Amino acid sequence: MASFKPTKIQVYPKLGEKVTQDTLYWKNYKAPVQIKEFGAVTNIDFSPVAPHNYAVTAFTRIHIYGPFSQEPVKSFTRFKDTAYCGRFRSDGQLLVAGCEDSVVRLFDVSGKVALRMFKGHTKAVRVTDFTSDRYHILTGSDDYTCRLWDIPNSTELTSYQEHTDYIRCGITSKLNRDLFITGSYDHTLKLFDARVNKSVMTMDHGQPVESLLLYPSEGLLVSAGGRYVKVWDLLKGGQPLVSLKNHHKTVTCLCLSSNGQRLLSASLDRHVKVYNTTNYKVVHNFDYAASILSLGLAPDDESIVVGMTNGILSIKHRKSSEETKEISGQQKRRPAYRVFVKGKNYVPKQDDYLVSKPVKQHLAKYDKQLKRFNVSKALDTALETWTRFRKPEITVAVIKELDRRGTLKNALAGRDERGLSQLLNFLVGNLVDPRFAPVLVPATEMILDIYQSVIGQSPVVDVQLQRLQDLLEREIGYQQDLLEVLGMLDTMAKMNTSPLTPHPPT
Amino acid sequence: MAADGGSSSLGLPCVFSPKSRQYLALCAQDGRLRIWNTDSKTLHQEYVPSAHLSATCTCIAWGPCRTVKEGPQRKKRKSEAGQPEERADLLAMGTAAGSVLIYSTAKGALHCTLDGGHSGGVNSVQWHPEDSLLYSGSADTHIIEWDLQTGKTRCKWKADRAAVTSLCVSPDGKLLLSAGHIIKMWDLETKEIYRKFTGHSTAVRTLRFATTRPPDSNGLYFLSGAEHDRLLSVWQVREDGNDKNSVVSFTLTDEPQHIDLSTSTSKEEAVRLAVVCKDGQLHLFEHFLNGPCKKPLSPSCSVQMAGTQDSPVPVPLLAAALGTDTGTVLLAYGNHLQPVMERVEINTAERHICLTRDVQTTLSLSMETAVSKVKTPIVNAKSRVLVPGLPGHQAPIKGTSQGSEKRKKGTDTKEMSIEERLGEIDLSTVSSVKGAPKGTPSLQTDNFAVLLVQGLESSDAGILNKVFQTRKDAVIKKTVSRLPLPAVLPLVEEITKRLQGHPFTAVLMVRWLKAVLMHHTSYLSSLPDLVTQLGVLYHMIESRVRMFHKLTKLHGKLYLLMTQVATSDSSNTVTDVDHTAKLVYEEESSDEDEASGDEGLPDDNSDNWEEEEVMEETMEQDMEGQADEEEEDQDSRTESKANGEEDMEHENESEEE
Repeated sequence: MASFKPTKIQVYPKLGEKVTQDTLYWKNYKAPVQIKEFGAVTNIDFSPVAPHNYAVTAFTRIHIYGPFSQEPVKSFTRFKDTAYCGRFRSDGQLLVAGCEDSVVRLFDVSGKVALRMFKGHTKAVRVTDFTSDRYHILTGSDDYTCRLWDIPNSTELTSYQEHTDYIRCGITSKLNRDLFITGSYDHTLKLFDARVNKSVMTMDHGQPVESLLLYPSEGLLVSAGGRYVKVWDLLKGGQPLVSLKNHHKTVTCLCLSSNGQRLLSASLDRHVKVYNTTNYKVVHNFDYAASILSLGLAPDDESIVVGMTNGILSIKHRKSSEETKEISGQQKRRPAYRVFVKGKNYVPKQDDYLVSKPVKQHLAKYDKQLKRFNVSKALDTALETWTRFRKPEITVAVIKELDRRGTLKNALAGRDERGLSQLLNFLVGNLVDPRFAPVLVPATEMILDIYQSVIGQSPVVDVQLQRLQDLLEREIGYQQDLLEVLGMLDTMAKMNTSPLTPHPPT
Repeated sequence: MAADGGSSSLGLPCVFSPKSRQYLALCAQDGRLRIWNTDSKTLHQEYVPSAHLSATCTCIAWGPCRTVKEGPQRKKRKSEAGQPEERADLLAMGTAAGSVLIYSTAKGALHCTLDGGHSGGVNSVQWHPEDSLLYSGSADTHIIEWDLQTGKTRCKWKADRAAVTSLCVSPDGKLLLSAGHIIKMWDLETKEIYRKFTGHSTAVRTLRFATTRPPDSNGLYFLSGAEHDRLLSVWQVREDGNDKNSVVSFTLTDEPQHIDLSTSTSKEEAVRLAVVCKDGQLHLFEHFLNGPCKKPLSPSCSVQMAGTQDSPVPVPLLAAALGTDTGTVLLAYGNHLQPVMERVEINTAERHICLTRDVQTTLSLSMETAVSKVKTPIVNAKSRVLVPGLPGHQAPIKGTSQGSEKRKKGTDTKEMSIEERLGEIDLSTVSSVKGAPKGTPSLQTDNFAVLLVQGLESSDAGILNKVFQTRKDAVIKKTVSRLPLPAVLPLVEEITKRLQGHPFTAVLMVRWLKAVLMHHTSYLSSLPDLVTQLGVLYHMIESRVRMFHKLTKLHGKLYLLMTQVATSDSSNTVTDVDHTAKLVYEEESSDEDEASGDEGLPDDNSDNWEEEEVMEETMEQDMEGQADEEEEDQDSRTESKANGEEDMEHENESEEE
């Protein structure tokens, strides 16, 4: 018995955005939790120690949120003016923050009152950070200076006045206790060594620098300013490696995904872009409601925290793998494992005569009908609403198969008003699709031939036909335009030294 | 002399000009200083400090009356008008930012700014009665003596451990009272403490000398009122220094907000006192200051004011000034933005008086009433109004002292200009639709080019959709021609992506593509890798137009059929009534049917709505056309429908067989 050959559904290339591993990964977050802060959220810093609380600096307060709570677990409100840049020390015990009133405050994470106050700057301090030896603090201020302070004595160690404009970002090396980098509105990045009293390297970003980031290896430095994100090779003496311009407004914030494979940049244009750090191509894009000022990524990308100008803090948590599994389990209860292995694990002995059971062929509904030569019904099943709209390629394939058998005419004929309008509706939707047109155009002609006599009797059908005519008219106009464009392209290719190879269109 | 209006740094400052009480200076919630003419009851001047929102005015004091000739900087026009009497001119305003603004009502502009002195907000300002000196007390605990000739600090000293909340200069100009919680009397010659008076537990807000006698005669008295304190204390400065306690106290119903008094020069003359409390009541006192009195004194008369509504609401009094004759009091009441001033005869025989006045509660209405009240004010030529938005303090605009009428006019013209602008915009869009012989407004296309570049750079679908939905050819051309070269190739890529969709939207993209090819021909053809760059596009178009012949044929076929139907229909309408009636009925159901079909159409493009819209349009047109043809009564519809269906079924069956 010859087995029935099921209809072959042609696979067409998908139009639109490609689904990559990255889009799947970055889309796997829950709906964002939004928290309204008192003012623009200027900085977000994750604690380096578990449970990875994060400090959110907004207006005159610093709130510390736990990884899952939506209420701050701790607040520091003892600021006289706008607070800036609340950052944790590498042991997560201390927090340092600058302030508009030029005083730098050091807090114990469990306390409330500042442990130390560092006074000396004359203008707002926008940058604070701990050095890797934990005993010193780096600050950068609008008075153009950056300074190093000793925590135990709360004294100033060194002051560097090399920048010629506001210092708005800075970062300390996590490997070397003496190295730190600052970025300023004078367009430069400067690498300082605390052992000498001047900068050891200067790089020109070309735009006011808003944010800095060091790769964990500390060989590469990323700077953001203006609409550019630039990557510098520090080991080659500050050679620029890459310049990225994927935002249309100022980039305000940079972040590295935990495994160092992806770089995130946030901008005033309300986007967060994810770059692949091997080829620096944008692999994903998040949209937010307002201009973004700060961005934080929890270890292992467990959550993405974004602070915006309108004071809203948006937190997206990663969907846990169990959660996704649970949902699928609820949807469909599968038979037990035993059912499938039953009798299968029997190992035949040497002399056994093996009789193979005929494999049951699972056929699709339309194939079942085709097998029974119910051509009209086969087409009906292929025209079911879901298939018609979601998988037009199946319908097209069935029509093609019918055409091949030479029974398409029979299948199409003998339809009532509803069936015909359904068919016409499908044609209106897909006739001009260049993938389906070769099959559908002859079919349409056939339909017109068959139903010629009844045209004008049913308004439903008439309206569909009117739509079809309208569509064709437009498509023809459109294709005429396209032909003109082809002509233009041909000319252009001729003008170019190497002409286009394809033949002129038929 | 010390009768310049009571300044209160509590709440909103509100002061009558000294002597003639011609003006009321008021700093309202919106941070503007308004000077009202108490005679004509109209707005005399309005001044908006450039920092009126950040550095609000905390206190006001009128400068001492001077004959106009004394003012060296001022213009003399007023004196020519034949008013030789002394006029109050300068106003000192202390601000929360620590600066003091001196405003001249004669000039209608800021006279000078005194800043750089205080690090905290100014709580009180007082003028020296004779010399051109000004004293300001601030929250930074210091008092500053300003020299107005130079505009510089003459002397600055720490007055208290807490904020200095109130100041008062003695009528002879030799002593200065300052207060935080403790009242201190300073000798202005040496700037040393002369006396200290303790007794208030809260910050003293009001200080006022009650007599003009010299201190050595045991006849110098002053008044003090403190925050949350319902007593007004009178202190005597005694020669023997035995002045630990207040000698007299007046009881009030609430914290004093505005005080006016007529000072006594001798023991035989009573001190008259008008105190407006925070609760909006006015209390009048009359007392001979001649030594201690143990019992607190209650007012000789209390005045309240109520509205005329069905359920009367109290109308708060803002300030009160005693008239020259004993019976009259000048009252200011209502809200700070629109106070009402009135001279009232008070019958002091009654202990409690309630006045009823019709005061508009809503602001806009009250402005209206102000307009109706205007009767050509007396002085107007030199007064000017300052508005925010213009840089600096001294930014006068057209005077409005001729009354609010003129202001209204001004706003009218402004509205007109906006209307005109809108009209212009409309015109330009219309012209561009018509093919724009004038040329489309460059603004919009410029924006579009910028938007397009931004959208391409950040691949923002929202922005791109917005740009690509333009239908105007002129706009498309201009946008493309303004596009910077590096954005051309990304645009071509984006267009290629969008060309694959439904013809309804793709037609628009062809326009863009043509525009790109036309405007950037030289750039594109100079590209060395043009073939690879445009290869995808080329192949895409080629595959699409491959079916051109067949589709055209099909269209011809369909067109023929449809025209046949149309002609038969039109002939039927004349002869066969039933047939056309069927069409009318079915349309309604078919409409719904189709709508549901449309929703489910596969989304080729994000701009799907557009095609639907277009379809609906065509549908509507069709319906209208048909409806025009038909002039049918409704009765025959049901029958005809049934007939039609039967017909259909018959035919179908026959075909199947």
